[in-house]
Amino acid sequence: MLGRKSVFGMYNRLLLTLLLTAVFVWSLFSIQWNADLFHAGGIPTLLQIFEGLIQPDLSAEVLMKGLESAWITLAYAVAGMSLAIIYALIVGVLASGTLTSSRVARLTSKVFFRGILGFTRSIHELIWAWLFVAAVGLSPYAAIFALAIPYGGILGRIFADMLNDVPDQPIIALKSAGASKLQLLTYGYFPLVWADMISYTMYRFECAIRSSAIMSFVGLGGLGYQIQLSLADLKYDQVWSYVFFLIVLVILVDVWSNFVRKGLTERKRRKGFSPGWLSLLFTLLLVVCSWGFIKVAENAQFFELLSDKNIEYAKKFFGGLIGLNDANPAFFKADSWAAALKLTLETLEMSIMAIGFATIAAFFTVIPAARNIANGGLTSSKKWYNWILYGIIRITYIFSRSVPELVWAMMIIFIFKPGLLPGAIALALHNFGILGKLWAEVIEDMDPRPIRNLASAGASKIQIFFYGILPTVLPRFLTYILYRWEVIMRTTIVVGFVGAGGLGMEFKLAMSYFQYTEITLLLLCYMILVIIADFASESTRKAVK
Amino acid sequence: MSSKTMIEAKNISKHFEGKIALSSLSFSIEQGEMVALIGPSGAGKTTLLNSIAGLVPIQNGELIIDSHPISAYKKSKIFAKKVGVIRQQFDLIGSIAVIHNVLAGRLAEWGVIKSLFSLLVPQEKEVALKALDRVGLSDKIHEITSTLSGGEQQRVAMARLMVQKPEVVLADEPVASLDPARAEDVLAMLIKIVSEQKQTLITSIHSVEYARKYFTRIIALKNGEILFDLPTEKVTDDLLRDLYRLKEQG
Repeated sequence: MLGRKSVFGMYNRLLLTLLLTAVFVWSLFSIQWNADLFHAGGIPTLLQIFEGLIQPDLSAEVLMKGLESAWITLAYAVAGMSLAIIYALIVGVLASGTLTSSRVARLTSKVFFRGILGFTRSIHELIWAWLFVAAVGLSPYAAIFALAIPYGGILGRIFADMLNDVPDQPIIALKSAGASKLQLLTYGYFPLVWADMISYTMYRFECAIRSSAIMSFVGLGGLGYQIQLSLADLKYDQVWSYVFFLIVLVILVDVWSNFVRKGLTERKRRKGFSPGWLSLLFTLLLVVCSWGFIKVAENAQFFELLSDKNIEYAKKFFGGLIGLNDANPAFFKADSWAAALKLTLETLEMSIMAIGFATIAAFFTVIPAARNIANGGLTSSKKWYNWILYGIIRITYIFSRSVPELVWAMMIIFIFKPGLLPGAIALALHNFGILGKLWAEVIEDMDPRPIRNLASAGASKIQIFFYGILPTVLPRFLTYILYRWEVIMRTTIVVGFVGAGGLGMEFKLAMSYFQYTEITLLLLCYMILVIIADFASESTRKAVK
Repeated sequence: MSSKTMIEAKNISKHFEGKIALSSLSFSIEQGEMVALIGPSGAGKTTLLNSIAGLVPIQNGELIIDSHPISAYKKSKIFAKKVGVIRQQFDLIGSIAVIHNVLAGRLAEWGVIKSLFSLLVPQEKEVALKALDRVGLSDKIHEITSTLSGGEQQRVAMARLMVQKPEVVLADEPVASLDPARAEDVLAMLIKIVSEQKQTLITSIHSVEYARKYFTRIIALKNGEILFDLPTEKVTDDLLRDLYRLKEQG
């Protein structure tokens, strides 16, 4: 009995790996692999795009425009995040059930508010933007709310999880000292989790910058808007200039968030301004400036949103979605469902291909990208070229993850004909950098002792990789693959917008022809996909543990 | 069997960022000797072992392993047959089965394809089984290593060393994290295996009691220098008191 169980224990990871590989190979069969995948002028266009990368347009005019657009992108992101944090704090606390006293009340509050958070984050920010623009017209508020709602959902869920994971003892001690529920929250729960909360929020802020950039796709200003205009004019050198602005913006946020995190872990008190206070001041300044800019320069009138005309539009739009004026709504028709489910399957295949490509690319680059490999700390072998490789791969990672999927898709669609493959490649290009960075950090956090011992037992580099590094990091690698796959699933719809196939493309068409009930049907399919992804990755994670 | 000199150190020195770790040490160790390295924390015991293991380069002096200078061993696969290292149980890969950790001792001799194939179908299983049998763990051969207790993991590490069969075994505090009963158990086993395979053993160890009980020769380090280097029976309590005294007098 025991023997059989442990043999299964030896092989279950291998079986799982084989299973996941098989699923990836299956997804590849959804594509007709031939020269027909490319546009006639695809390869020359690729060369032109590459030429633009080497010689971006750095004229004063473009630089000024880039600076202005970068500020708009930043301001929208800051404004959206500030609302998201408020929403996440309120709903997150309610969803954690820490304020309730009876068990029944706690369960209802958990289920209800977690449901709200789940719904708001399962719909991609770009779709929220589209819905808002369709309902209330082009207004900075459409972008800000579109950012705030899904990001609030993500943050709120993580906040709730953090509050639930707080150790019991300090809370019980406070309770026995006679603290009320609200006092428990301010003296017990928050001091224990606020460092993690801030650190996670900073990480999400970096993502919000990218999301804010692509908001322009639905007609709202910012860097994405400029990228889109330049692409439409086929000015690839300008495209890259704006992309570089976006990359710099993302790097700056990354540097700031590292600074904040460092301040959080450094417990030492300093004289004068600590990094924490400095960051807080800077944050407040950013928030005030962003809202001020949106109010004054963009002249956004909040109450205009609630004008009779807009309310009429919104009524018509949301009424249309639930099929009020349609005698024969698409979501009651069998053939519409059949067509939509076929697209759902395609979208699933696209997401699997995307994570497969990203995994392969990350797998072959991650080893030299780890700091402890580059400095020889892990394998106790130093080579002069290690640091050069490290630098090149890390820059590639930053480059790959700074450019949003949508922007990659917009460029790739010039080379490939519309279909699943360009969508998968665009998603893979963006996620490869994220996956590589996360994996490299896993390797950097490894215990070096067993690896060094393998090296001193005479194992070669490849042997060390398969006997030491891979078995140790595999569970965490797999967790990150699944986590990114969930994210990719949510994003498939977005790359579909620019003609990369799947549900997204159909969604855009339905939007353009005002087929409201069709939109509802597609959103339903999309939610089915997100639920499948959540379920599949949750059960796979359990299997690895 | 005529004994030969396995390790010869001539005035070896090492300093980290200006701080002296080893200052001009000289000694020679014959094949088959059982040497205990003792001394207070920070005396340079681990640094000395790491230098002999080739993990830390020495800055001055000469270190000769089996009549070749250590710098002449260019290939780690060849050096692995000369010198093997065992530390505390942290030497093992926790997430793979015990047998693979033991067979890792053969990696120096295996090619890439054989070692990869072995992860699916363990190769030279009988070698691993024999080693595990010697340390009393043949029933745990397919267990995931991290599920074993600390003492058991230390015995797996010894089984790996038996499979690797280096001529010199360096043990860095091999029993530091074990309770006294298990520590004696592991130490006795280590000495037995090493003497049966005619290997040379150098162990750094905190416990003077164990050093006296199990080893034939004791080298005492203090502040990177050799305080004394004597056969066990000549080590007196006075010498030990001197070694562990907190403050230098005079």
